[in-house]
Order: sequence, then C-alpha cells, then structure tokens
Amino acid sequence: MNILSNWLREWVNPNVTNETLAEQLTMAGLEVDSITPIVPVFKGVVVGHVVSCDKHPDADKLNLCQVDVGGVENLQIICGAKNIRSGLKVVVATVGAKLPGGLKIKKAKLRGIESFGMICSESELGMIDSSQGIAELEDDASIGQDIRVYLNLDECVIELDITPNRGDCFSVLGVAREVSAYYNLAFNLPEFDVFTQGDCAISASVSNTQACPKYLTRTITGIDNTVKTPKWMADKLVRSGQSLHSPVVDIINFVLLELGQPMHAFDLSKLTGDIKVRMAKSGEQLELLNETTLKLKEDTLVIADSDSVLAIAGVMGGMASSTQNNSSNILLESAFFEPVSIAGKARSYGLHTESSLRFERGVDFNITELAMDRATQLIVEICGGQASKVNACIDKSALPELKPITISQEKIQKILGFELNVKWIEQKFINLGFEISQQTNDSWTIIPPSFRFDIRIPVDLIEELARLYGYDKLPVQKLSLEANINTTSEADINQYDIAQSLVNRGYQEVITYSFISEKYQNLISPNAKKIRISNPISADMSIMRSSLMSGLLQTVESNQKRGHTDARFFEIGLCFDGIKADEQSNKLAAIVTGNRFDVQWSADLQPLDFFDIKADLESLLSLTNAKFSFEAEQHISLQKGQTAKIVLNGEQVGWIGALSPMVQKQLSLPKCYLFEIDLASIKSRNIAQYKALSAYQQSGRDVALVLDEAVPVAELIQSVKAMQQQYFVDVNLFDVYTGEGVEPGKKSVALSLTYQSLEGTLTEAQLNAKVDEVLVLMQTQYSASLR
Amino acid sequence: MIVIDAILDRAKISIAKTQNLQELEDLRVSFLGKKGELTALLKGLGKLSKEQRPKMGEAINQAKVSIQTLLIDKKNYLEFIALEKRLLAEKIDVSLPGRHAEMGGLHPITITLNRIQSLFAKNGFEVVLGPEIEDDFHNFTALNIPKHHPARAMHDTFYFDKNTVLRTHTSPVQIRTLEKQKPPVRIIAPGRVYRCDSDITHTPMFHQVEGLIVDKHANFAQLKGLLIDFLRAYFEKEALKVRFRPSYFPFTEPSAEADIECVICSGKGCRVCKRTGWLEVLGCGVVHPNVLLSVNIDSEVYTGLAFGVGIERLAMLRYGVNDLRLFFENDSRFLRQFR
Repeated sequence: MNILSNWLREWVNPNVTNETLAEQLTMAGLEVDSITPIVPVFKGVVVGHVVSCDKHPDADKLNLCQVDVGGVENLQIICGAKNIRSGLKVVVATVGAKLPGGLKIKKAKLRGIESFGMICSESELGMIDSSQGIAELEDDASIGQDIRVYLNLDECVIELDITPNRGDCFSVLGVAREVSAYYNLAFNLPEFDVFTQGDCAISASVSNTQACPKYLTRTITGIDNTVKTPKWMADKLVRSGQSLHSPVVDIINFVLLELGQPMHAFDLSKLTGDIKVRMAKSGEQLELLNETTLKLKEDTLVIADSDSVLAIAGVMGGMASSTQNNSSNILLESAFFEPVSIAGKARSYGLHTESSLRFERGVDFNITELAMDRATQLIVEICGGQASKVNACIDKSALPELKPITISQEKIQKILGFELNVKWIEQKFINLGFEISQQTNDSWTIIPPSFRFDIRIPVDLIEELARLYGYDKLPVQKLSLEANINTTSEADINQYDIAQSLVNRGYQEVITYSFISEKYQNLISPNAKKIRISNPISADMSIMRSSLMSGLLQTVESNQKRGHTDARFFEIGLCFDGIKADEQSNKLAAIVTGNRFDVQWSADLQPLDFFDIKADLESLLSLTNAKFSFEAEQHISLQKGQTAKIVLNGEQVGWIGALSPMVQKQLSLPKCYLFEIDLASIKSRNIAQYKALSAYQQSGRDVALVLDEAVPVAELIQSVKAMQQQYFVDVNLFDVYTGEGVEPGKKSVALSLTYQSLEGTLTEAQLNAKVDEVLVLMQTQYSASLR
Repeated sequence: MIVIDAILDRAKISIAKTQNLQELEDLRVSFLGKKGELTALLKGLGKLSKEQRPKMGEAINQAKVSIQTLLIDKKNYLEFIALEKRLLAEKIDVSLPGRHAEMGGLHPITITLNRIQSLFAKNGFEVVLGPEIEDDFHNFTALNIPKHHPARAMHDTFYFDKNTVLRTHTSPVQIRTLEKQKPPVRIIAPGRVYRCDSDITHTPMFHQVEGLIVDKHANFAQLKGLLIDFLRAYFEKEALKVRFRPSYFPFTEPSAEADIECVICSGKGCRVCKRTGWLEVLGCGVVHPNVLLSVNIDSEVYTGLAFGVGIERLAMLRYGVNDLRLFFENDSRFLRQFR
C-alpha cells in the first residue's frame, strides 16, 4: 500500500521528517518497505508567465521569450519547444538552478542572443520519464512561486507492507489513525455536507445477510462524467499508483484510498428491475471490467438485477453495467461484505483487486455511510447532479459482534515480563479508538472499534500496548531454566556422527530437492508409489522421491558436466512411501565414481570398485554393533552380479551395488557405485560391557578349505562365528583363490582361527579339537575339504 | 716385549688403514682370534719363567685391550660412515605432499544447522523432527490459520490433495510435539520446508529451525533475551545490534520480527541491507492462545514462546554467499569451499 506523505499530513501532521516517520511506523508495526520522493531534489525553479514570444532572428526553431517570474524585470529566455506561446504559465529554471539530471542553469548565448534561464518540461524536473514539449501550468498558477510548492513536489511515497491482520491500514484514514495513536495527536476527518433529494429510485434486497450485513445504495442523476478530474485529486491518485479513468471511477478510487471503503458505481440506465444481493446460480456468467468472462460458482456472492449478474460482490464489477463517460445517471453502492464470505473468492477466479484485498481482511462496518456521503459529495462537486437519499439494507444481527475484552496488569506482566504505567495504558487505549467500558486499579475492559477485526482476546491488547511502547524498549531477561538436563542415551548415534564418519572417508554431503522428475522415478524405483504434487513448479519437480539415489545421480551428472570426474557424495533425507507421517522416513545414500585417489605423485590411478564403497559402508555400520549382512540380490537400476541387499535381523534395510550399465547409458554417466540404507538401522550402538582379559597366550591355526565357488564367503565366516565355540576369539579371512591347483568350479578359502582360554595356555590337543569342530561343520554344511 | 710392541704398532697401522668392516673383522681375528698373534703369545706364556710370566702376561693383556679399543673405535667410526652413506641415499624431499586421501565435507546448510543446534542444546533445547508431507490441520488449522485465512494465500503451498500439503514451515512440529509432550517443553525443530515459488531469491525448498518453549514463567522479555544471545553467538559478535519489530504471524501474539545490524556493512548501509543498515533474520512471538487450545494446554497457566529462523539466510550472511540457488546446485566447487 502506497501512502503519500503530504496526503497523510493533511490528516495528521507529526513534527518529524518523513524519514523519521517511516522509521517509527516500522517500529510500531506498520513496516515501511521504502520511502521515495516524488521527484529528485532541485531548486531555483519557479512559475513563470510568458509575456511575449517571438521567433529568434537567426534560428527558425528557436523562440525568444520575455518571461515574468515575479522579479523586477522580465527574463529573456530562448526556448525551442513547439508548444511555447505567449500567455502560457510555464516552469522556469532560473540562472543558478540545478536540475535533477545534474544540469546547471547558466547565462547562455544562443546564436548571438543571451538567454537567462530555461523553460522546463516535466521530464526535466524528474516528474516523468519523458515528455513532449514544456510543461503547461494552470492559468491560476501564481507567478514566481517555487515550483516545488506549487506542484506539491516535496512529497514522498511511503510504501507500506501491511500484515494480514491490519486491513484497517489500507487507507489514509487508517494510517493517520496509527500515526495519531503513536504521536498522541488528534487527526482530522474531512468535513463536508451532502444535499439529498428524493428516495433512491431503485430498490435493493439482500438474500444472504450473513455475507452482506449492510448494503447501501443511492442514485445520483444528471451528472456530467465528461469533465476532467481535478488536478489535486488526479495527482493524489497517480502518485499513489492508480491510473485515471472517468471522474466517477476516479472519485470511487479516491474514497477507497482515503477511507478504505471499496465502492462501486453502476450506470442506472443499464439496470433492469431491482438490485438483488444473492449467491450466484449455476451456469451464470459475467463479463468483468477487465474484459474477461467468468463462469460463476455457486459459492460466490453477486450483485444482480432482475436480468443478470452485475458484479461479483466485493471483488469486481461487470462490464455491461459499468459507468462510462456518457453516463449521466448512476447508482452508487457502499456495502459491508463479511470477510470470510469474500476470502479466497477473488483468488479462486484468478483475480486480485483493491476491493477484494480490503474486504477479505475486513473493512470498517461503521464507515459505510460516511464513505457513501464522501463519494456523493465529491461527485456532485465535480460532476454536478442530484443525489437521492440512501436506500439501506442492514441486518444488524449479522454485523460482527464487538465483544468486550478484559485485560489485567497481571496478564500484561505475565506475557511481557514487566508492568506498564496505568495512565499510559489508558491513554493508548483511547488513542487507538478503544472504548474503555469498565476499569479497576489494575484491569480494563475495552470494546474494540469496528475497524479492528484483529482485536478479539486479551493478548491482542497486549500486543497493541507492546508495539506502541516499542518492542525495543521492552525489557530483556534470561530464560528461566526449568527444563531437565537433556536426556540423550549413550547408545544413540546421532545424524552428525553418521555424516562425519562418511566425511572422514572422503564423502561430500549434498542436499538435493525432495521432488524429482518422473523420468528419474521410473528409472530408479519404477515400482514405488508415485506421490505426485498437484501444483508442482515444473514437471522435473513433481514426484516425491522414494529413494535418494536419483538426487545423487543428478549431482554426479551435473558435476561430470563441469569436469569433476571423481566424486564421493552422500545425502541424508526423508524419502516417501506415502503421504502419511509414518510413511516418511530418513535414508542415507552415497555414490562414488572415478578413481580411488586423485592424481598424485605417490600412487597410481586406480578405478574405484564395489569393495571401496562397501568398505566405507562397513566402516559406517561399525558405529553400531549390529550384525549387518550382505546378500546377493537384484535391483532394477543396479548391475546384476554386483548388487547386494543389506540385511539386519532378517530384514532388508538397504542396497549396495554398481549402477546398472543400462541406467548408466541412459544418463550418460560413468561407472558408479551406490548404497542406500534406512537411517533407523544405524541409530544405536551397544554400550560396552567389559570382559576379562586372558593372561595366557592365544593359539592360532590357519586352514585352507576347498569348496564350491558359489558359496558366499561371508556365510562361511558367519557360520563359524555362530558356533560360539568355547575359547573362540576370532576368525579371519586372509585369502580367496581360484585357478591352478584348484579344481574348476571350486575355490580355496584361507581362514585363520584363534582361540584363547582364561585358565591357561591351550594344549595342542585342545586346539586341535576346536579346529576339528570347525572342519567338521565346513565339511557337513559346505562340503568343504582341507586343501 | 719388543714383539708385543711390534704387534701393537702393526695393529695400529692396519686398523687405521682399514676402510671396511669386513677387513676390520679380519684384523680382529688375526690379532685377537683363536689363532691370532696375541692369542699365540698368551698360549706361549706357559713356557716362560715364573718371574717373567706375570709381567709378560700383563703386557699382552694391555696390548689386547689397546687393540680392542682401537677395533671398537674404528668399528664405530666405520658404522657411522656407513649409516651416513645410507641416510644420504635414503634422503627424501620432505616438501612433497603426503600420500593423499581427500577428506569430504558437510553441506553448508548442515554446518549451519549443526551450529544452531549446538547453541540451543547448551540452553537445554532438544531436537525434534517432523514429517515433511503434512496434513492441513498441523500445517495450518492448529496454528490458528483456518481455511480462508489471508495468511494461507501468502504461503504458496504445494498440495497433494485438499487436505495434504508439503509443510510450508517447521511450525507444525510445535503441534506434533505438544500433542505428545506435556509442558515444560523446550525444543528446536530443524528441517526442510517448501513453498511454491522459484526465482532468484526463492527456491521451492529451503530450511528452517523452529523453536518452542512452553513453560509457566516464560515471557516475551525472555524470548528477546534468548534470541539476542543466540544471534550474537551465531555471528560471534558480542555487541551485535539486534532490534525487534512488531509483525504478524497467525500463531503468535504478540508477534515480532528480529533484525540484526547488517553484518556486511556493520550497519552503515549497503546493497545487501537495502541501505537500511538492518537485516531481517527471524520471526518470533508468544504462542497464540488458540494454538495452545488446539493441543489442550491452558494458556492461563502456560505461556508459549516460539521462533522460526531461515537457515539459508543465516548461512548466506555468515559465509557471504550471494545466491541462494547455489545451495541446491551441489556444484563441488561451491561445496568444497566449506571443508
């Protein structure tokens, strides 16, 4: 909302600069986004009167003027503008003046004749971007007056960012009220009289008084809508950002800016029968003022006559019944539409109007009459005509109820942490237009004014007091510590530990969008449920990810394009199996591609492989003491034969593998390896439990077993551990061999077994017995024989 | 005696001449070995008279000791030379870089979140997470944003269906926490949030940290104190100017926005702060009674304090990042700068 500083000051005029005013408004809750002078600074420019205008003797296109600027002598000025003529009131930059563009006016000689100043255009004053010829002032402009005063140029546009709760500030009146409350100054309502004669010639009725508790109409007949909107009004409108139309529309816009009441004028000659305020009927259409035609929905409140819909109530009027320059009889409407019935309607039609903006947030329901009279007075004054009495449809019971609110000093103390001065509180309530209906030493019952839809409960009053007091002046206290010491378990593995473990192994964390393209979704998880955003930014961001892999692949893809061929990336984030809260869970995924080490003098380049990423994952999983296993499995986007599912307690918790060559080709990616795991599976570690250390030597035995190549070594080792032998310490795999000396289809697996007793060094016989148990198991379970 | 002296002299000369350890060992054997010259003399002692024997014996032993000393000294010397030679051969250019396995790094948003979390953890705040696909109740209605509330229009919401949205802020976590936990409550809720808006200063996904305190003695003055402390700690500027302005959020009353003195120009006015000297960094306020009512907490007894911080904004100010979109382009040249 743009407010003109001088317009505001006509209402209330605090003795501070515009900049200070803007600053203080911001600190009182009306945020000023910007404050912009109407024109840049300049001086030495006055109103002049062209006394005579003759051709320059030596230049066809130049004129030699004598200009009266109120001095002792007329100024001789040479001017090349086409519209210069004798008798004109003009803008004269006198010698010594400095214009906005930096131009300094000096005495000059043009083709041998001296010129003492310059006659200016509006663009030369910085008022508009470009202009044709010099500015032509009104005939009554007073000669010699500073042009800044005459044109009211010492004005700023104050751009306010009005919060949704403060619909009452969408007008000069509203802002003036705020200023007056803040500075303790009275403000001036415009004074005027309206003469009316006869009843409104057209009757109106409201069928839905909940949505429209108040509907006022009046006719004004015999107006001349072809006259020019007066300059004082036109300036205010244009500088506030409104465009000019006919006087009637301009006046309605003016009252909207002045009082915040949206109004509408119908051309009386285009109405048939009575006015009805009702809900739209199915199938009804309306061509709006902006020339679009809408199919109306049945939840929309409309203004209609007996033939058709004339306007969407509180949003926009229709084309057919609108006033034009040739309109001479009009029906003026001033109404109160209830905010909730208007809310969202404009947007549902793709509209956003000054009127809907105000009605949605709440228009003062006690200003309807004043606004009607203000518009009437201005129309009659500017366009002539005869105003009728007002026809009023009012359902008082449907008007918003102004319930008393009680606030105590104790509550203020509880919320703000200190007490405010009693006298000060009362003064501010009065300044804000709150009626104090009852009071004690330390409590007040107030009735909020009809323009404050946001004041309903005690804390609303506290906010009012706090903001007028100044948030910055409110005290500052330390948080009182009542909460318990944070109870985090030693067993918890937090996300930071997990991320850090990957960072230590060379991984860079990335954050990718949670929504992905359908193409990626089909490539990575074609069978996952497609959770589609109904209003996505673009098709590329339309499906909620069910896996982090797509984001990682995209990251590799974009970094490859920039020439970064080695990469280790990971991401932690929510993935989505559905829209319910328990269908959203955190996953961790990582991707590697390129070489194991970057180019360096001390190592040869070696491409990364499956066991590099697996080592990183194993290192991560070692944060927990849980027993994860890896089982060969197939995944649609991973390479057959180089893919495993990650299993914990018999349940799959993730994937690891090489990117399938097919996907690799489709995305033009290099060889990549990925893993993805449910974050919940690495959320806790065991708390250590001390076991006694043996004082005796540990005994070991290496065995080489020949067995079927298909047997997963991990299973072999797992089954040794699962035996839970007495004295058992560990089993280590130290070689896997196929080739010469080993039968085709078989492999040789070398294991190192260690045992130790707490009671003494194991004898050879004891050790043999333990190793034999293992060999028997290997033989029976895997047909493994000693090599 | 003359014989001994002669042996000793020869030994001295030979040992001095010797340039390698093997030769030295050979010399040791030839003088002191089982068949060495001195050993032979010792063996011949028995042939001497009783009177001569001790004298001769002592002289031989003295010579033996002398030769042994010479041998040891020479051996030490030769070993030293050999070691020096080896060290010279093994000399390396210590300025060469170490065998290199690169460290990774955290994303700057994570770094910022971690810092914020640890600052609040010191004040007893617990970290709570919530779903990103939210229902209308938690994202709007329970937060005092009923249907048709003008604030809904300002949220540019992504929808799945009429009742399901991508959360537009982290505030729903307030509701989810208070549904489960009785006061006193002191939490922060970091996470991703989403708005249907994409241009040079908006990404459709960004991060917030929500904070919530519900307590019998919480008040606005404490909220101010906490947030001033937090901002000063975050920017590591003890005297950082912080100001609070009235604002509007449906879920707080009174509501405020906090500005800090521009950290780019120290409040003098620059492009980043639009020449105002101030930067808006967070929104906060006293939890609206309707919000507490929606989770059955008596606002006459308990006061709630809440705040919401934009993480990208804080990260940009702290690290001088001038384009929001960089955070989600994951260009390794950008990310590496935060290692």
